[in-house]
Amino acid sequence: MAIFRYPDWRWPDIPGALEDFEKARRQMDRLLSAFSSGTQSVASSGVFPPLIVTEDEDKIYVEAEISGIRAEDLDISVVGRTLTISGERKPEETQNVNYHRRERKWGSFRKALTLPEEVNAENVRAECKDGLLRLVLPKPEHVKPRKIAIQG
Amino acid sequence: MAETDLQLEEKKAVQAAGESTRNVPVFVPAVDIYESDNALTLLADMPGVPIDKIDIDLDSDQLTIRGTVDQGEQKGKVILREYAYGDYYRQFTLSSDIDRGKIQASMKDGVLKLVLPKAEAAKPRKITVKSS
Repeated sequence: MAIFRYPDWRWPDIPGALEDFEKARRQMDRLLSAFSSGTQSVASSGVFPPLIVTEDEDKIYVEAEISGIRAEDLDISVVGRTLTISGERKPEETQNVNYHRRERKWGSFRKALTLPEEVNAENVRAECKDGLLRLVLPKPEHVKPRKIAIQG
Repeated sequence: MAETDLQLEEKKAVQAAGESTRNVPVFVPAVDIYESDNALTLLADMPGVPIDKIDIDLDSDQLTIRGTVDQGEQKGKVILREYAYGDYYRQFTLSSDIDRGKIQASMKDGVLKLVLPKAEAAKPRKITVKSS
């Protein structure tokens, strides 16, 4: 029996091959964890504030967890397809106190999100309630899906 | 602009917070607790919890805070999810010198503020030394 030695096998020199493999592994992990916990799987961007973005045919909805931030300390803007949420979380004013726990963080933040679709920036609605920021961004007429009637 | 940048803290899930009948995760809220001469103040981040869904229980020296998240209805299909909806639960053991009758709770911008006034006997007293 002849044994052939495979000529110097190496990892394929395709750019991004390893990254693709890693990406697939991460997606698998996420899928499995979603199964095991029976709840929503989360993909964090690591930037404050965390968001949930949903969309339907005529609107995009953005929700952010911003507890402890007053509405007047928030700045929201839409330029083209980029939504920017920035602001500052200010520390509670205290005098002559001793801390037992200090886990809550404060500071300024700036987050950008690329929207899946163009939006009508003039008609964006924003609401702050119970530490959640809710944005409703209407899509302009020309990006809404249109039903095409077939003529018989 | 502040010098500090606000870092994102991932929500920490509680491993065993009693058996819950709701099919949502339970998170540990981040808290600040500070003490002044007159009171102990607790601040807890509970975004998404309306004031009427906060449950505070003080049983002997065990303080339990529970917040039930108001999920509302989701509009449209999810295209990005960076946090999960869930309830909040945390328990503390207090020193027993709290004036239970005067505990105040308020909620603002998703932050629970609990003021626990100290009982008279526990307030610090300045001792003056008389010279004879």
